[in-house]
Amino acid sequence: MDAKGRQHSVSHFLRENQDRIFANNRAWVASKVKEDSGFFEKLSSGQHPDYLYIGCADSRVPANEIMGLDAGEVFVHRNIANLVPNTDLNVMSVIEYAVVHLHVKHIVVCGHYNCGGVQAALSHTDMGILNPWLRNIRDVYRLYEKELDEIQDLAEKNKRLVELNVLEQCRNVIKTAAVQQSYQKNEYPIVHGWVFDLKDGLLKDLEIDFENVLKSIQKIYNLEAGRKGSTA
Amino acid sequence: MGSQRGDAFEYALKSNEAWANYKGHQNPAFFEKLATGQTPSILWLGCSDSRVPETTLLGLQPGDVFVHRNIANIISPTDINSNAVIEYAVAHLKVSHIVLCGHTCCGGAGAALGDARVGGVIDAWITPLRALRKANEDELTNIKDGGQKAVRLAELNVEAGVKTLLSNFVVEEAVKERGLKVHGVVYDVACGKVRNLNCGNAGGLPGTKSAAQEEVEIVKGNHAMLVFGGDGARMSIR
Repeated sequence: MDAKGRQHSVSHFLRENQDRIFANNRAWVASKVKEDSGFFEKLSSGQHPDYLYIGCADSRVPANEIMGLDAGEVFVHRNIANLVPNTDLNVMSVIEYAVVHLHVKHIVVCGHYNCGGVQAALSHTDMGILNPWLRNIRDVYRLYEKELDEIQDLAEKNKRLVELNVLEQCRNVIKTAAVQQSYQKNEYPIVHGWVFDLKDGLLKDLEIDFENVLKSIQKIYNLEAGRKGSTA
Repeated sequence: MGSQRGDAFEYALKSNEAWANYKGHQNPAFFEKLATGQTPSILWLGCSDSRVPETTLLGLQPGDVFVHRNIANIISPTDINSNAVIEYAVAHLKVSHIVLCGHTCCGGAGAALGDARVGGVIDAWITPLRALRKANEDELTNIKDGGQKAVRLAELNVEAGVKTLLSNFVVEEAVKERGLKVHGVVYDVACGKVRNLNCGNAGGLPGTKSAAQEEVEIVKGNHAMLVFGGDGARMSIR
């Protein structure tokens, strides 16, 4: 193909890709309206999701599809390696909005095996602006250094770090004022740790003992007392 | 265990099992293939709002869209969270499109249009929206309908976010080198449709990648989704 022909085919491809998505979107709308003519009208009156889902940005782990939930049922935050860093205003705002304003009943932190972020954190590579973000995973490794060092098989070590990362991020969620105050007052939200397995599409519940984790962090992180002027 | 660890939670896990079985039945190699890697062609930057599930409303499949969602789909140049996502998607996964999607009925836009303090950390996060409101005060004041005003602020927010994206070094480089496209769209919650604001670089430089490299593999065929409502499950095929 000459240069001109190649340029034409590339721009045509890009155009086509976008068209396909708008066509898909219209088809989805038509199927929803066919099922329930008031579906979108109801959604526009407000959202009342039971779940906040914090998961990985990975394209293979779409929140609604893996949970089988429809539009309106789950509030979603996705970032690289499903992290909940204490000083990240992005994820902290999401948690606060979901708990204080939407009153979600469950918060799920969902990791997945074969996570590129976790793999990157196990390698000794300088990844530029990704370094400060992935540092959080290295810190999880340091917390469980002895356990992880004992695992010889690299794939198994990687899997275990994925699980431990989820546990630590759940702990970070529980450390927030919003979660502690809401649980004290309403007995929700409950925080869950899950791992999605790409090999079979199944979710694994890490069965975090929410109340015990809450108790264990409160000696140092207790923020239940609230604050004057706080909306929680 | 707390008293809330009940039905809704068990339901989601059961629903996942049904979904995984269905996908595996429909295409036995589906998950095996996913486990080998991801090659999404789209990076979606959207709102956390439960009514805007990107993969569902685009009619796409696991593996198609890399996703970041935050409160009011704000793209702040120094936000490390979204910067990490953009860097990974553009420099490492080499997506062909970035779609920044705002939406109608956005709680974040509504909060930025009000004068009350939201409380906690949210006020700090939505400061860019408040700045946009101030910069466009005349235009917004002239819109009397509250819903329409919020839609306009959502549009302005997407336009500003697209500008920030196009000023991001990694994005700029990918636009020049391989024709990465940045799109700004608004999703209408009341009708389910995505509207293109045409504020990106649709007229950008043609790419230098070969058509073969651009070929994206998608699992074809009708795909079904299990949907659980208040009164039980149903299968939605599209």
